[in-house]
Amino acid sequence: MLRSPNSVPKIKFWTLLGLTLFLHLILLYRFFQLQVLDYDLYTQRANSNRIRATSIPAPRGLILDRNGEIIVDNYPTYVLYGIGGEIINKSRNFSVISRATGIDSSYLSINYKNNYRSRFLPTKLAKDLTISQLSRLEEYKNNLTGIIYKQFPERIFNPKIRASHVLGYLKESDQDYLSSISEKSNYQFGDLIGWSGLERNYETVLRGTKGVSYYQVDAYGREVGKIESQSNTLPIPGNDITTTLDISIQELLESEFKDIRGAGVVSSPKTGGLLAYVSSPDYPPDLFTGLIATKDWELVITDMDKPLLDRVANGTYPPGSIYKMIVAVELLERKLIDKDWSVTCPGYYEFYDRTFKCWKEKGHGEVNLEKAIAESCDTFFYQAIQKIELDKLSKRSKTFYHGKQTNIDLPSEMRGRVPDYKYMNKKYGKWGWSEGAMLNISIGQGELLVTPLQIALYTNILATRGETYPLHLVNNQYKKIKSLNIRKKTWEFIEKAMIRVVNNPGGTGGRANPKIKGLLVSGKTGTAENPHGEPHAWFIGYARKNNEVISVVIMLENGGHGGEVAAPIARRIFKKYFELNIEIAKK
Amino acid sequence: MFLEIWQKIKSSPLTMLIPVLFLLILGLLSLYSIATLQIQAPPNAFSKQLFFLIPSFIMLIIMTILSKRLIHKYIYFIYILSIVAVSLPFLGDKVVGTYRWINFGLPFDLQPSELSKWIIVLALARYLSDHNLQMNHFNANILPFIIAFIPTIIVLNQPDLGTAFVMMAPILPMLYWVGARPFHLFLFIAPLLSIISAFNFAVFSIWAFSLAIIIYISKPKLIHGIGLYFSNIFLGLVFPLVWNLLRPYQQNRFLTFINPELDPLGAGYHIIQSKTALGSGGIFGKGWGQGTQTHLKFLPVQESDFIVSAIGEELGFIVLLFMISLFFWFIYKILHLALDTNDRFSGLTLVGVASIFMAHVFVNSAMASGLMPVKGLPLPFISYGGSFLVSSFMMLGLTLNFGREEIY
Repeated sequence: MLRSPNSVPKIKFWTLLGLTLFLHLILLYRFFQLQVLDYDLYTQRANSNRIRATSIPAPRGLILDRNGEIIVDNYPTYVLYGIGGEIINKSRNFSVISRATGIDSSYLSINYKNNYRSRFLPTKLAKDLTISQLSRLEEYKNNLTGIIYKQFPERIFNPKIRASHVLGYLKESDQDYLSSISEKSNYQFGDLIGWSGLERNYETVLRGTKGVSYYQVDAYGREVGKIESQSNTLPIPGNDITTTLDISIQELLESEFKDIRGAGVVSSPKTGGLLAYVSSPDYPPDLFTGLIATKDWELVITDMDKPLLDRVANGTYPPGSIYKMIVAVELLERKLIDKDWSVTCPGYYEFYDRTFKCWKEKGHGEVNLEKAIAESCDTFFYQAIQKIELDKLSKRSKTFYHGKQTNIDLPSEMRGRVPDYKYMNKKYGKWGWSEGAMLNISIGQGELLVTPLQIALYTNILATRGETYPLHLVNNQYKKIKSLNIRKKTWEFIEKAMIRVVNNPGGTGGRANPKIKGLLVSGKTGTAENPHGEPHAWFIGYARKNNEVISVVIMLENGGHGGEVAAPIARRIFKKYFELNIEIAKK
Repeated sequence: MFLEIWQKIKSSPLTMLIPVLFLLILGLLSLYSIATLQIQAPPNAFSKQLFFLIPSFIMLIIMTILSKRLIHKYIYFIYILSIVAVSLPFLGDKVVGTYRWINFGLPFDLQPSELSKWIIVLALARYLSDHNLQMNHFNANILPFIIAFIPTIIVLNQPDLGTAFVMMAPILPMLYWVGARPFHLFLFIAPLLSIISAFNFAVFSIWAFSLAIIIYISKPKLIHGIGLYFSNIFLGLVFPLVWNLLRPYQQNRFLTFINPELDPLGAGYHIIQSKTALGSGGIFGKGWGQGTQTHLKFLPVQESDFIVSAIGEELGFIVLLFMISLFFWFIYKILHLALDTNDRFSGLTLVGVASIFMAHVFVNSAMASGLMPVKGLPLPFISYGGSFLVSSFMMLGLTLNFGREEIY
């Protein structure tokens, strides 16, 4: 009963108290260990728990034309992301999004699968959301988990022109690209990068520096506020680039190439700047922004006319008769003939057992070098070429940038082909080819291949007696191209012949003359035979009025006779350009 | 004169209200930070806890003035009632996956196992003080174990491993208090230690060696000593084999039973977050209401099981040191009263109550700091939880009641 005494030896009290103290000390030591000894570790862990850094994309620099008119601009679009760890039920979330925005939910789940990297990082689900899609999504917000959207500057293009091959497009960077670049810090998987054209070449200028914003998130990953101790870094916008392009000239040139395959370049021989650059057919410049439907993409890829090919820099064609000035320069500079040396053209030339035709079946009659250029007599060149050594001609051609890259500020450019002995021996065997091949080369056929871009530089050299600058699309400090060391007399002769092409009766380029008072047009036509059907039609030329010069290169793939189809396009360009100039001068 | 008053104050059981008051304030501060600063409209954890203080104080006073004789007289009856009470939740619906709570139509549920903790202590105390037991004999220890086991097994099936652990906690200290041989008590723990140590060869070797020494020092009959030693070693050797025979899902079921908080990924998310909150608090804490892990909800069950981490994060090691000191003072006070009381019933009850508080403090803090994987228990006077708060105050009342003779 309660009477039973509590006679307990003190040692039991002390034992139990000792045990109690021991347990309390264990706890204290544990707290000390976590809070004092491992303080740094857990502070770091606590911060990484709650601080989420998101990058703020920097607005990309604009691309302007030479008058400051905007060619490529940015406009805000919205990108939808899903955070892996927070989307609890994917299919349900996707069907809610689908209902709100009309985006196919299977499309969302494909994107999710393709873009997924980590359960903590936002995974891109859809791009180019409109404000109305977004506001409908807001209404459904309570049914969504782990779905966020961010504003994103997207490229938008001047509606007047396409210039898709020059401007290029942006693409999301992939692992291969990231491992290939040196400046990695500013790039992340999935960032948009300039993938072709000017966008690629001027990537470092156009691209700004991304900013970072720090958010505090709760355990469910929801943003709950800013971090005071860690201030955001603002993005630094990219720099604009002012190109040498002229929107009105580009617009005209594009309209000339409507439904025609070919390439056209308008440039300023004095500066090397390109005013217009057309490769046709092309593709809409916004094809690569936003979401390309597989159908559209396949249409572009499988198009037999290869709209993705940049014919200006990457298309190679036989030059045909526009090559003849190089042969003429070689003949005159080495004094292989004088300017009065002449042949009789009956419309063909018999060389051993082969017959080489002149384009004019009736023949040109008595032909000297000047007339041979002006009326593009092939017979003359068949005979004159026999005085020329192939290797010397090949070297001469390279000084005119045939078979040599122009180093324009675009990411890719073909070299073309100028044959020499070595090349011919390699291709046909030492005894497998004869002088007959030279006859073809003399009229710009055979093994010769050039890009329209090379021809543009060639034309500028002819227009300035070699005193021109490298071709370019964005102004910079360019050095004059290497001197060609050609005598003044030779230049004068070539110029005279090219004036005659356009201005004299019998000249093949008469249709290139817009007949503006005081405007002097020089040029050369070319009709390049090729194995793919109709000959390619070439016209190169330049027009000068007072101190103003522009050059034009027109090439129509399988277009027919250069004088008939290419020269009229050049005429309209000259007309437009000089009329514009008058307008500007009046203002 | 002054010294005399001081002595009276010092030895008065009422001084133990001082640590309790501080602990209550600390708990309410912490709950205020958790609940109110997270803009939860009342009733939130803080306001509910404030409300529960009213029945707590009423029960404190009742338990303090209740006649000891009356308690002594009816305790077996109350014990039977408590067994019925802990069985009652099985008739109702599961709440959060367990049969822990009963709803009497009140706006809150009751947890009868909270009361049965100290009802067991009282029943044990009566049994151990009523009979002049020959505690030298091992067999005398068996019935007290059965008394504690019956409600414990029921609670274990609710399932509530934490409370079951707390229910068993007073037995050994109480048996020790009443005169059981430490060696006999050791025999109860030995098989458990054999099993736990069996999973690591080095630990098991040390254990086998210590076991031999303890048995040698205690000088039991030779045959008993040898039998004891080898049955323990055998248990240790066989258990891992049996364990490995179990299929993984069976092992998992057992582990989840031991540790219901074990998350499916096995990453121990809760423990990691709790340690992160604690550790990032440092010496002085992040400031009251400034705990990022707490307020951004990285810290789970922060108002009860992991409240010590919330306090540690916001108020730092300094305050935890203070808190642990208060608990030590409080338990020291109960043990001291146990030593000073005249009758064995009171002494045993106080030792039992001290053990319950100790078990709560240790298991809660050890779990929050990642020392123990076991399911959490609330921290006395600090954690949110109505039934436990009332029960704690009833135990406090018992302590004041049974330790009061000194004053009068």
